[in-house]
Amino acid sequence: MKNTAGLILNVDGEHSNLKDLLHYRSLSTLPFGGRYRLVDFALSNLVNSGVQRIGAIGSYKYSSLVDHLGTGKEWMLSRKNQNLTILSNSTTGRLDSLLKINMRELKINQRFLEKENIDDLIIVSPNLVTNFNFSSALRIHKTNKADITLIFKKITRENNFLENDIFLDLDKYKVASMSHEDELVTDYYFADMMIIRRETLSAFINLFDDTGEMDLLDMIKDNLDSVKVFAAPHVGYLRRISDLQQYFNASMDLLDAEILRSLFLGDKPIYTKVKDNHPTYYTPTAKTSLSILGSGSRIEGSIEKSILFREITVKKNTKISNSIIMQKASIGENVTLDYVVLDKDVVIRDNATLIGNKNNPIVLKKGTKI
Amino acid sequence: MKTKSVAMLLAGGQGSRLESLTATNAKPAVQFGGKYRIIDFPLSNCMNSDIDVVGVLTQYHPYVLNNYIGDGSAWALDKMNAGARILPPYVSRGGGTWYKGTANAIYQNLDFIEIFNPEYVLILSGDHIYKMDYARMINFHIKKSADLTIAVMDVPIEEAHRFGVVIHNDDKRILEFQEKPEKPKSNHASMGIYTFTWKVLKKYLTMDNADPNSENDFGMNVIPLLHENNKRIFAYPFQGYWKDVGTIQSYYDANMDLLDPASNFDLNDTSFRIYSNNQSLYPHYIGEDAIVKDSLVCDSCIVLGQVEHSIVSHGVTIKKNVVIKDSIIHNGAIIEDGAHLERCIIGSKAVVSGKTRIVAKESDNPDEIHVINS
Repeated sequence: MKNTAGLILNVDGEHSNLKDLLHYRSLSTLPFGGRYRLVDFALSNLVNSGVQRIGAIGSYKYSSLVDHLGTGKEWMLSRKNQNLTILSNSTTGRLDSLLKINMRELKINQRFLEKENIDDLIIVSPNLVTNFNFSSALRIHKTNKADITLIFKKITRENNFLENDIFLDLDKYKVASMSHEDELVTDYYFADMMIIRRETLSAFINLFDDTGEMDLLDMIKDNLDSVKVFAAPHVGYLRRISDLQQYFNASMDLLDAEILRSLFLGDKPIYTKVKDNHPTYYTPTAKTSLSILGSGSRIEGSIEKSILFREITVKKNTKISNSIIMQKASIGENVTLDYVVLDKDVVIRDNATLIGNKNNPIVLKKGTKI
Repeated sequence: MKTKSVAMLLAGGQGSRLESLTATNAKPAVQFGGKYRIIDFPLSNCMNSDIDVVGVLTQYHPYVLNNYIGDGSAWALDKMNAGARILPPYVSRGGGTWYKGTANAIYQNLDFIEIFNPEYVLILSGDHIYKMDYARMINFHIKKSADLTIAVMDVPIEEAHRFGVVIHNDDKRILEFQEKPEKPKSNHASMGIYTFTWKVLKKYLTMDNADPNSENDFGMNVIPLLHENNKRIFAYPFQGYWKDVGTIQSYYDANMDLLDPASNFDLNDTSFRIYSNNQSLYPHYIGEDAIVKDSLVCDSCIVLGQVEHSIVSHGVTIKKNVVIKDSIIHNGAIIEDGAHLERCIIGSKAVVSGKTRIVAKESDNPDEIHVINS
């Protein structure tokens, strides 16, 4: 993997129903799973696969990304031979964008992408919840002397494809055709990860003229007869987060111990920024069941089927169920929360009741006080 | 190079009174309060006191400790021309020996202190749990034009016989020492925390080393030598939580104090944080039928059973039908289905069989603390 670089770039647009959670941050830094940010999966998967040079394209709200990634030390990317670069973004926003991989973003980061000692680039979207090793995909890429290897997922019942997904028609591992149809055409969809030879990418970047809007995937589709495009399967748990429902469902999936185990308990951990928090304290009145909790919290009330991030206070006689409570929330006495997503620093005063439902959880944006 | 103060942390203790908890581990590297290790306390105190040169003197099972301290960045000790340095005994042309006593350990590292050429040297012990701003103690030392300042804490007079006590005048100048006296004349107990003026320390350590009859111990030899020579020795009064965790009982009690609001020891206070070398671990998981009360639980634990009034370190698995009360579980331990544990200390990565049953009221000695290490 010495000659492979990683590029983190948002392939899916952000659905507008996530907007309350994305006021101050990009999709890549959306908090997930009690202590992580979505981008931790892409970064850790690249690092765990042995990739030593990684670039992450920020969105126009890049401060949360810079703050989270810092020098990259937590992902072991702050070493002389391993590093992390935050790259610039060309657009003003990606809300409901139709382009998947905008050539303009690749063009303005051409200098990073065209380092001579790099043979291949792995492009990964930062909104994928998965623990995945790229080595077998890279093997397929190398053995077939492919120009491009698209990583695909087989469609299953619980694994819904998205509206503007790309479906692959495969001849063994060779990609025969790619289609953009709204309905299901084949059983395999492109899973927002690919390996591309540096020289192939450079050729595409040079083909792109600055005036238009172009999508790398369209360029690949149009050149299927001249470039060697292969496909490698993704195995294991994978969820793509680009709207509120996907975010909520993937979060709740973690309460299934098997999924939690497959994501976090293997020998390849998901790394994130560490904090110096005290262990979480459960008082004698606490009652907790089927939940995930981060560190530094104080729990006096009752928590059920919920995900609580770090440094949260829950006062007594309060009931929280089916909810996601982000960092530093402060929840008073006699409060009832059901199907609620609270962003960071939310304050819920005594005796409040908020009840959403499974398909429409109530979202309170960062710093709300009620 | 000129540095105002250098801290020397005596982390060499074998800690044999902590029994099997220190079988493969130096005492300062023993876990405390779930996520911490004992050495986090003096190191965090240094960080909170803006002391950025810390020499850590170690000689027993140094690997865990070395690995844990790493580059010192967890305590902001990764500064250029400063930082945390591990100082094991070494051999030079003139020979070399194992550290013979606390004073000898510092004597053997005078060269290290010389590099930084400080005005003051703090001598700290690696087995105390407390939060203290050393900068205030150093300011006190400067104000009194002292040669040596000893931090003291008032203990109940009936407990004083367990400590070294000092008798001082109104100006806090120490007039007399009593080491574990049968009839203590005061309740000002020495905490084993010393601030020396560097020149004085250097001179007296050299004198002490030249004396073949000396045991090379600060409390027994060096401090009496300063006292005989009429040096200015002062007592710096400390108020707050302080506990020596040198025995299983005191280690257990200090851990349980974290669950007792009356103990007044708050590790959640962000203005004076205790830092540790954190790992990147996933949050903990509480299962459907679990009961967790009056307990501290760390990252990446899986709790499916019952935990009451206990401290659970990171990466612990507690299976179904398990009852844990009044216990301390160290990291990575696995408690199998059906086990019942009360007043236990479970060592790191121990696997406790489901047949284990340690119930205080069924025991001949209900107050006994059981240490299970594998």
